[in-house]
Amino acid sequence: MNISDLFKCSHQFLYSKKLFYVFLGLLIFSTLELHSQTTIKGLVVDATTEEPVTGASVILKSTTNGTSTDVNGAFTLQVTKALPVTLSIRLIGYKSQEIDVYDAQEPAIIYLSEDLNLLDEVVITGYTSQQRRSVSGSITSLNLSEGIRETAVSGFDQLLQGKVPGVQILSNTGVPGGGTVFRVRGSNSINAGVDPLYIVDGIFISNSNPISTNMGGQTQSNPLSDINPSDIENITVLKDANATAIYGSLGANGVVIITTKRGKQNTKAKISLSLSHGWASAIKKFQSTTGPETAILANEAAYNTAIDRGQDLSTITVPIANPLSSPTYDRNSDLFRTAALSTYEISAQGGNSNSTYYVGLGYTKQESIVKPSDFERYSGRFNYDNNLTSKLKIGTSINLSQVYRNVSSNDNNPKGVINSAIFVRSYLPVYNEDGSFARYGSFDNHLALIDHLDNNAVTWRTIGNLFLEYNLLEELKFRSSWSLDNIDLTENNYEDTFISAGVSTNGAATSYKAKNSVYTAEQLLTYNKILKEKHALSVLLGNTINAVQEEYTRASGQGFATNDLKDISVAATKAGSASKAESRLLSFFGKISYTFNNRYTIDGNLRADASSKFGKNKRWGYFPSVGLTWDASQERFIQNINVFDALKFRGSFGYSGNQNGIGSYAALGLWSAGSNYLETAGTAPSQLANPDLTWETTRQFDLGFDFAILKNAISFSFDYYNKYTYDLLLNVPVPYRSGFTSFLQNYGAVRNSGVELGIQSANINKKDLKWTTEFNISWNKNKIEKLASDITLGASGRNASILREGYSINSFYLYKQLYVDPKTGNAVYEDVNKDEFITSADRQIVGNALPNYTGGLTNEITYKDFSLNLFVYFQQGNKILSMHDFFLVHGGTQNNIGFIPRQLERWQKAGDVTDIPRMTTYSGDPTINNGSANNYGGNVANMSSRYLSDGSFIRLKNLAISYNFPKSVIKSLQLSRLRATASVTNLFTLTKYKGLDPEVNAQSSSQNTYGYDWATVPQPRTIQFTLNAAF
Amino acid sequence: MKKLYKNVMIITVISSSLLFTACEDFLDLSPTNSIPSTVAITNKETANASIIGAYNSVQNYYSNYYITLGTITADNVSYNGTLSQYLQLDQNSVSPDNAGTVYVYQTIYAGINSANAIIAAIGSVNDPLFSEAEKNKILGEAYFIRALGYFDLARGWGGVQLQLNPTTDLGGLSGIKRSTLDQTYDQVLTDLTKAEELLPEDDATTRNRAQKNAARALKARLYLYREQWTEAETYASLVINSPKYTLVKPFNTFFTSPFLSAESVFELTFTSNDKNSYWNLWYPSTVGGQYTLKPSDALVAKLNDPNIGGTRNEIIQGSDNSVYGVLYNTVSTSTDPAYVIRIAELYLIRAEARIKKTTPDISGALSDLNKIRNRADIPNFDSSAKDAIIQAIEDENSIEFAFEPHRWFDLNRTKRTGSILGLTKTDYWLFPLPASDILSDPDVEQNPGY
Repeated sequence: MNISDLFKCSHQFLYSKKLFYVFLGLLIFSTLELHSQTTIKGLVVDATTEEPVTGASVILKSTTNGTSTDVNGAFTLQVTKALPVTLSIRLIGYKSQEIDVYDAQEPAIIYLSEDLNLLDEVVITGYTSQQRRSVSGSITSLNLSEGIRETAVSGFDQLLQGKVPGVQILSNTGVPGGGTVFRVRGSNSINAGVDPLYIVDGIFISNSNPISTNMGGQTQSNPLSDINPSDIENITVLKDANATAIYGSLGANGVVIITTKRGKQNTKAKISLSLSHGWASAIKKFQSTTGPETAILANEAAYNTAIDRGQDLSTITVPIANPLSSPTYDRNSDLFRTAALSTYEISAQGGNSNSTYYVGLGYTKQESIVKPSDFERYSGRFNYDNNLTSKLKIGTSINLSQVYRNVSSNDNNPKGVINSAIFVRSYLPVYNEDGSFARYGSFDNHLALIDHLDNNAVTWRTIGNLFLEYNLLEELKFRSSWSLDNIDLTENNYEDTFISAGVSTNGAATSYKAKNSVYTAEQLLTYNKILKEKHALSVLLGNTINAVQEEYTRASGQGFATNDLKDISVAATKAGSASKAESRLLSFFGKISYTFNNRYTIDGNLRADASSKFGKNKRWGYFPSVGLTWDASQERFIQNINVFDALKFRGSFGYSGNQNGIGSYAALGLWSAGSNYLETAGTAPSQLANPDLTWETTRQFDLGFDFAILKNAISFSFDYYNKYTYDLLLNVPVPYRSGFTSFLQNYGAVRNSGVELGIQSANINKKDLKWTTEFNISWNKNKIEKLASDITLGASGRNASILREGYSINSFYLYKQLYVDPKTGNAVYEDVNKDEFITSADRQIVGNALPNYTGGLTNEITYKDFSLNLFVYFQQGNKILSMHDFFLVHGGTQNNIGFIPRQLERWQKAGDVTDIPRMTTYSGDPTINNGSANNYGGNVANMSSRYLSDGSFIRLKNLAISYNFPKSVIKSLQLSRLRATASVTNLFTLTKYKGLDPEVNAQSSSQNTYGYDWATVPQPRTIQFTLNAAF
Repeated sequence: MKKLYKNVMIITVISSSLLFTACEDFLDLSPTNSIPSTVAITNKETANASIIGAYNSVQNYYSNYYITLGTITADNVSYNGTLSQYLQLDQNSVSPDNAGTVYVYQTIYAGINSANAIIAAIGSVNDPLFSEAEKNKILGEAYFIRALGYFDLARGWGGVQLQLNPTTDLGGLSGIKRSTLDQTYDQVLTDLTKAEELLPEDDATTRNRAQKNAARALKARLYLYREQWTEAETYASLVINSPKYTLVKPFNTFFTSPFLSAESVFELTFTSNDKNSYWNLWYPSTVGGQYTLKPSDALVAKLNDPNIGGTRNEIIQGSDNSVYGVLYNTVSTSTDPAYVIRIAELYLIRAEARIKKTTPDISGALSDLNKIRNRADIPNFDSSAKDAIIQAIEDENSIEFAFEPHRWFDLNRTKRTGSILGLTKTDYWLFPLPASDILSDPDVEQNPGY
């Protein structure tokens, strides 16, 4: 896209025009109000730290005329009354203050001392900030305190796990920098995107993984880990329709607003240094049966099969003649290592009277506990603001980072490191007699892979914007922001002749370059006015233009003279390809909020979006929302009860849209080129036209209340929501005879409803001893309300997951094993259609991968200079399908695959009671229930519920002890602060799940195949020491 | 105050020009790797591209799965891998969502849709540079590809739904039920007859695009499947008599680069830019493969018997427990062709037709059979008993096409699957229709037994 395109527009929109006139009217109206004013200036500082206090509201007493302090704690208030006047100053966390101002010449300095009242907190509401009092939306704001940040993670999203009610976060894998699942109030969609919109300092950032190396169904990377969590000040999650409405088409899956650190005006430079080192290790390792056990099992399968076939047993030769003398080769231990983690960071922040700055530099390296993957990030951030005049401010926020990943394929890939170790039978030697790497069946040698896999992905990430703010009037601000998020990826993969993939090609190299860019231009007018002292009005009007470009170039070469050569230019044969796509979005939005008497607030949003992805007929979508709040604690009758320090009720209703995750040209009827034959270019039908394709829409209703009691010691927040997403952008399966597999149309509906609870409690609040507890829990119920037909998917065409009307997404579709017949040893499955046969009609939904509830419990205890942080995460009710069991409890049907110890629990003789059936490879009539064909093969083909288990867990996710060195020590070192922390992640886990780790999601590249465990790197236990110093 | 108003107005005008104007052009984007379906076949260039695309679909299903469906299901090839779709095929208990059968079914219909689009559009292409002969050639190829598609569907799944028009929207799909096997074969015959008429006469070298003989050869096979022995013999003879084809010697000539040997009646060519890595499924991991498909012990024994396999043991390598198939062997370049029709098949078709026709032609049948045997350096068949010859032809087919998709379909058409493979439940002689079609298509019925 040329930037000039942003200006090229010519047509006018009626809707926008109307809004413009309304706005103009307001503008004129407001200016008429200006007359005979006194200007009071002042500064609000923290009574203890003497640092400026930002966002404190300064109100002329008994009126609603007010303002709030800027980043420097400064405020300017125009009053029409004659002096002296009384100002009332408020901010959450501080006791309210009143001061009398006699002289407008002298700046007033107000010292605020700490207090807690949740309604006074200023929260980011999307484009603006507002006091929680008047916020009708469901918003969770999290300041990234040191206690939270000192956890060993690579991406900030992992820090939010269990901390935000209504948000489910799960790491897919234990590989640093690997993908995460991040769902705000459940999954809204089936084929369109379900990830929230991430905004960093007003910049819409891309969250699509650019890495192309096939990881076997696993999402290759988490692009959010390109951002250094230490640069982040605050993360705010907007959840309901009213809160997200301002982001309209992008906000249906929630919005995550990340605010990075900025300097404060008139503060001297604060330089912070942070050093951290840690070690990660596996809590549980993969297990295999020993050589003799494997041999016995293999022989038993051959023997039983012969019985089933009615063969003469004396003629049978068992596979391993002398099972007990079989050797055992332990491959599993070779995979793991004690992984090192280190982080070094330095930052400086401060400001003079006109400008502020924050500069942060960081380096982190994290090894994976399974060789050879690792993650290394260099990050730099520069935030700068300058008040050119009293009215005009410009600024910039820039993130530059380089992330290096050693990428190793696992999960569903027989040439992956983990698979090559766990699948091979344990009696087979690792090396051939001549000392070369031994390989068996489909599997490569795990040591060869560890030593010779050479897959590198380097990402350069630039997230930056330039903005300008101009105060047209005291009440009216204009903001213009131009931003870019650019990901440049270079991957170099080389397969030498030591690994199987390189043997055939005589060395192969791939070079892949991808570029994902998001351009956003944003224009915003905000107007805040308090009229007749009781009527607070705020208006926001804005427009964004957004373009997303993705392109890649790939070159590959095969055949190298020696293994030292890696450049594609010297390969024997070469090939290349390149492609690009672009989509654009044009949006207008407005918001009006009116508060009466500080008690009742009504607000309304309207957003109009047009997406280039949709058909011409239905390009525009309009997404309105309304919200109501009532601050009951302001009411006399509530105050008289003398129970509530704060009490607020809120409700909202609205619509938001979704267009993410579908192709850039999804509405067009297309023939794709590249269907070549005989080195001649060919074309073939690839997509059916759908000119009516339009927005997927979510209608959301939210009711909530917040209150604080016992002098704000305990605060409580509750939300109920009901989201109905309709006109799903659904790849509706079509009969294959059409020549197509699916047709993207607006069909189907999904509902998510749930309850969220959050409690914060200051249990002890003494000078030397402080103890706070935060607890949150969220229930979400997901249900597909409408679907054209069942859609089965997952497990590489084995279709273990299903989407079916009336059930939740991510349901498992398997044969339900009732028991193993103690007499025959054969598995008995539920005969769903009661036809006495086991056929595909007997597959059924036997649970789903979504938890009933998730939550977190944080305790923070500070005693003098020590503090202790304990964080527990839990989730309940989700199922995990273990593909390890599927492959490695195969009853002998897989000649080239070993066993895991669970296979030893198989039925052996009449009377045995177990859930693992008799070993056999017999393939007779596969429709017989309680027949040996279906034990591991047959129609059931091992897609049995016996490999599905409860994935609920409670985990002590983080335990950290910190010590702030006393002032005497600090002074002698000429520091302003020195803090040492020791932390442990994943110290213990309570779960019934027998696999390595219940926090796993191996098939994460599709949002509909959730809950698989499949040769995935488990979450490690990490011990980390951190030293923070400030000068 | 005046200054303030002036500022307000300036900023307002600037911002509103940004805010409240836009254009639809800004949102009109089109891809650079696809063309709108409305202009897909409108001139000579696009017509040529479309028939290439149709061949590409045939390549897609013949580069791996179709061959596997016709081999691992029978007794010459057994499963040795990790992927359960192959295990299911080997055990002949194929689930309706078996990745192999689903892929083939879907890809064949994609090719049929391409062919339908060409058949529907080519007549109305108005391009002075596009000659009638060129049009007929493309049209003939489209009919041939459609015929091959329906034939390959019919012998795997039975009678299928006959789509004869291109899909432009989903409305046109409803109401088309499954045809019987005979109706499906009738459609194949109709298309082959048109193809034979429209396709160009054979030149001496073209073997990877259809010419008249390719259509005739497929017709011979169709007649064989329909047990119309006289017609099968006639059409097989038409192809055999063409000087374009010979039984190449040594046996490995046809599967050794350069391909497109005189053995080939129709083969699909792959190149380094258009790869076929099917060898990967046959080769063990020591040489870079997956070793999912393994020659069965019984086959290895037969191939190594000089009186059964003869020189055809060149299709295997390795020893003991790690014998592997090398018919697909371009390990470093991945350019193995798919051998759709070889002249050897026409000899065996004719042999079978001659022995099975009302008045058996024993010497004719033996002569054809022995041509195949002699080429592999095996002595002549020594009996002239009809049943023995029939059996010998069946066995010869099995060895000659051990790794090509014949055995499974031959056993089914001769109803020998039960006695040879022990698969007595005849329902399983047909593959299941894809589960997704059963769910999404109200007009379709699943094959019995699934």
